[in-house]
Amino acid sequence: MRSSENGIESSKEISQSEENVINFLDSMDTYLILVDSLSSALRQGWFELASARQSMGASRVNSSLFDLKSHHASTTFQVDEHEDIELPHFTLCKWASSDDPEKYSEEAKFEEDELLRNKSDSPRPQQRGATSHCSEYQERSAEIGGSPVKVDNQAEKERFKSLSMFGALVSPKLRATQSSFEKALEIVVEISNVRSSLLRSYDQVHEELKNTK
Amino acid sequence: MANKPQIRTNNSALIAMIADEDTITGFLLAGVGNVDLRRKTNYLIVDSKITVKQIEDAFKEFTSRDDIAIVLISQYVANMIRFLVDSYHKPIPAILEIPSKDHPYDAAHDSVLSRVKYLFNTESVASDRR
Repeated sequence: MRSSENGIESSKEISQSEENVINFLDSMDTYLILVDSLSSALRQGWFELASARQSMGASRVNSSLFDLKSHHASTTFQVDEHEDIELPHFTLCKWASSDDPEKYSEEAKFEEDELLRNKSDSPRPQQRGATSHCSEYQERSAEIGGSPVKVDNQAEKERFKSLSMFGALVSPKLRATQSSFEKALEIVVEISNVRSSLLRSYDQVHEELKNTK
Repeated sequence: MANKPQIRTNNSALIAMIADEDTITGFLLAGVGNVDLRRKTNYLIVDSKITVKQIEDAFKEFTSRDDIAIVLISQYVANMIRFLVDSYHKPIPAILEIPSKDHPYDAAHDSVLSRVKYLFNTESVASDRR
């Protein structure tokens, strides 16, 4: 009787150990795929920026035109550590009002939800984190009476503000650059989340290896 | 308690960037630029005039601010301060190494992958199992 109980416990330990290894390998695979996606998005963005610089002129697209007056970022991140301090979860909040950061919350998150829905047809390795937050934000947005049209206007206003540091009339290539880097930002958030789970599963596997010494 | 990591729960946080001009330009277009009342920015443009000390100081500053969630750093810049980047182990802000125009991403130098490659080193794993 005791030997069968011991046998059951040891088989449970082995399956938990294998699960940790699988989680680790899965996270590593996802991490590498996402880094590759990020490289592609960045390359696209650099190419479009170079095209914009060629059409607008180098003097109109350079770092001396950056806005150095005090202003808040309109695209920010939320960090959720409720469950585990060592496993933070990052969520992107795009195009909130840069004038008043307190106004950003539900409207910008609802817009992120819309963007994710539009992209949900294309296969992506990791979307679970952002999507689970976005549905919650959609409910909140409905509660406060936010409408998609209002959110679109807010996002467009903030996009225009970002572009306007290079002048009132900008090349379509600069808008394309903005889109590419927005996409890169979404991938950055996914990589950050996968990084946390990769390091966490690595620690678990490493701990098990030490315990088997 | 002294070593407790900085905690931000459901508050907005920024992304910091240490990269070349084009990468910073692109991400600023995406709306992540922030300038505080003391005119301190959440980015450092790395060009030929920037010294390694300035990069180190920027990295230390960004990783100690509690309003920054992610630090993006071009991998070729991270290589200049590799000892600092590899010795950083806090969960927040997350450090992500990204490629630059002239320096493609090299998985061998990534700080995260360097930490976990121990498990793929057959000699170290085999010696643990003996």
